[in-house]
Amino acid sequence: MSGKPMSFLGGVDRETGRVMDPQSDIAGETVAGRVLAFPHGKGSTVGSYVLYGLARRGCGPAAIVNERTEAIVATGCILGGIPLVDGIDVSILRTGDRIAVDGDAGSIDVPDVTERPVVTAFLRNRGRVLVVRRGEEVGTFRGAWSGVSGYIEGDERPVDRARQEIREETAMAGARLRRQGPVVRTRHESTVFTIHPFLFDVPGRKVTLDWENVEARWVRPEGLDRLPTVPRLSEVLASVLARA
Amino acid sequence: MRLTARQKEMRDLGTAAHKTAMKLLVALGDVYGADRLIRVTSAHVAGASYKMVGDPGLEFIEDFAKDARVAVPTTVNPLGMDLERWREQGVPDGFAAKQVRIAEAYRAMGVRESFSCTPYLIGNRPRFGDHVAWAESSAACFANSVIGARTNREGGPSALASAVTGFTPNYGLHLDEGRRATAIVDVKARIQGMGFSLLGLHVGREVGGGIPYFRGLKGTEADLKWLSASVASASDCAMFHIERVTPEWKRARPKGLPRFTVTERDLKAVRREFTTGTDADIIGLGSPQLSAEELRQVADLMTKYPPRIPVWVFTSRAARQEAIGPVLRIEVLGGRVLADTCLEVTLIENVSKTVATPSGKGAVYLPVLCGQKVVMEDVERLLRRYST
Repeated sequence: MSGKPMSFLGGVDRETGRVMDPQSDIAGETVAGRVLAFPHGKGSTVGSYVLYGLARRGCGPAAIVNERTEAIVATGCILGGIPLVDGIDVSILRTGDRIAVDGDAGSIDVPDVTERPVVTAFLRNRGRVLVVRRGEEVGTFRGAWSGVSGYIEGDERPVDRARQEIREETAMAGARLRRQGPVVRTRHESTVFTIHPFLFDVPGRKVTLDWENVEARWVRPEGLDRLPTVPRLSEVLASVLARA
Repeated sequence: MRLTARQKEMRDLGTAAHKTAMKLLVALGDVYGADRLIRVTSAHVAGASYKMVGDPGLEFIEDFAKDARVAVPTTVNPLGMDLERWREQGVPDGFAAKQVRIAEAYRAMGVRESFSCTPYLIGNRPRFGDHVAWAESSAACFANSVIGARTNREGGPSALASAVTGFTPNYGLHLDEGRRATAIVDVKARIQGMGFSLLGLHVGREVGGGIPYFRGLKGTEADLKWLSASVASASDCAMFHIERVTPEWKRARPKGLPRFTVTERDLKAVRREFTTGTDADIIGLGSPQLSAEELRQVADLMTKYPPRIPVWVFTSRAARQEAIGPVLRIEVLGGRVLADTCLEVTLIENVSKTVATPSGKGAVYLPVLCGQKVVMEDVERLLRRYST
């Protein structure tokens, strides 16, 4: 799994399938016989021929998984007969994952990873948003700053779960929903958290914490970067603020 | 994407080359949101210079050629050397041998041995409204803008796939809505000669591709060849309109688009920026290859200003034959008129460190593909400056 765009011409050794590009985050790994995941291709169009040559020598990837396929990779996969799936958020994959690829259906299955849907609600009051620091009793991300969050259970609607977590974790009343953001996924060990982001406006700043969190702060959105937070929290916040 | 019965048959029951080609066109059609495959009247393929495609390209082309045969008239881009004069060019034997194999593979597929980036000057000239599949960005831009034919900027393999099937995915510049202007460019400068190359470089970068709509610009077809090449090398632009000049300007719908103004000062700045060298070892004329008429002009200028440094002039084999008189004059004055290849896809780095050229496309690619510094100057000024 590479989090960076890949160039095959010069980036991958044509005889062995080893990643040669020193800028790559998977330099030294081999693509031969493995499922290769990366966001999208880049660089010379000759990269298509490199993929073809790798496949012809039997040291090409078993399949390719992309976020967004462009012409270089699509062409190379067709020429080399390499199954290709796109539209996948590859950041949730890790090198070493077992993965099943269905090139015809355009889908992947990662059997050892479980998906947990969660909500993250940001409460806003006069330009600041509430962040809370997770205590030692919670299951994950102890000590990290987060929005008000919790697992979505069964068939419940994410927005209902968000309201319930606000009541439990802050005891605040009068929260008004302003925005629901697009889903953000983040990988932690063998779990993928599917985060449903929300933005609520609240009338005051008085917070009563429950057992889950040990500290609350009202911060400016840009101040989030300075805190040790749960993964991708700034992105989650940006997703609801960008359109607010 | 919907396929016709004939297209499905080709995909499922055709030769190995047919199957690969159809799968490729369908996959690319899916990437770009095409609804179907449409017929093309010609193809122009790229990926012929061994310098550009290397061993991976050679391997693919030879394999593919085993059972591939073109279904429509097809021309091919320049090679990495003049097939007759490569030794004079400083091309090593090993390179030449592999280059000949690539040329042979294209010939075996029935591709015309044009080895030219100006197919529209040498017999592969679409008519207005024709759908074609052309690689070579400068030629695709010329075909769309100046002829009114319709092509996307194809890659080497996709153009080849269209050549053997006769089809291309229907998206982008094949559609009326894909050919509308995306920005207005008011030209407040007198553009002539190299000015067309400078304008293309400037607009390609400022407008960032899309489809510029020029106002206040006049030019001959020869001028627009240089504009096409430079705007396409500085951006992903594959078409432009010129008010009252190009064939589709009335359909461009420029109203309400963002506007840019180009002045003399902008063009001077571009020339300065792309001039990275001071003293040239060689004058390189081409990119795109010169026409027979341009060979005549160069011969006249060289007669007036006999050069004291080497002059390499790139042209097509057809134009070299047509302008045999001017070619001899250029050669007598110490120049070399090279066919089958072009300025930056050949090994000019084996003989030079700094190239003087009026070509905007050359100025973009010589540094990255050949490690050259560039002196960018109008052809007459160049020859005068480097005359004996």
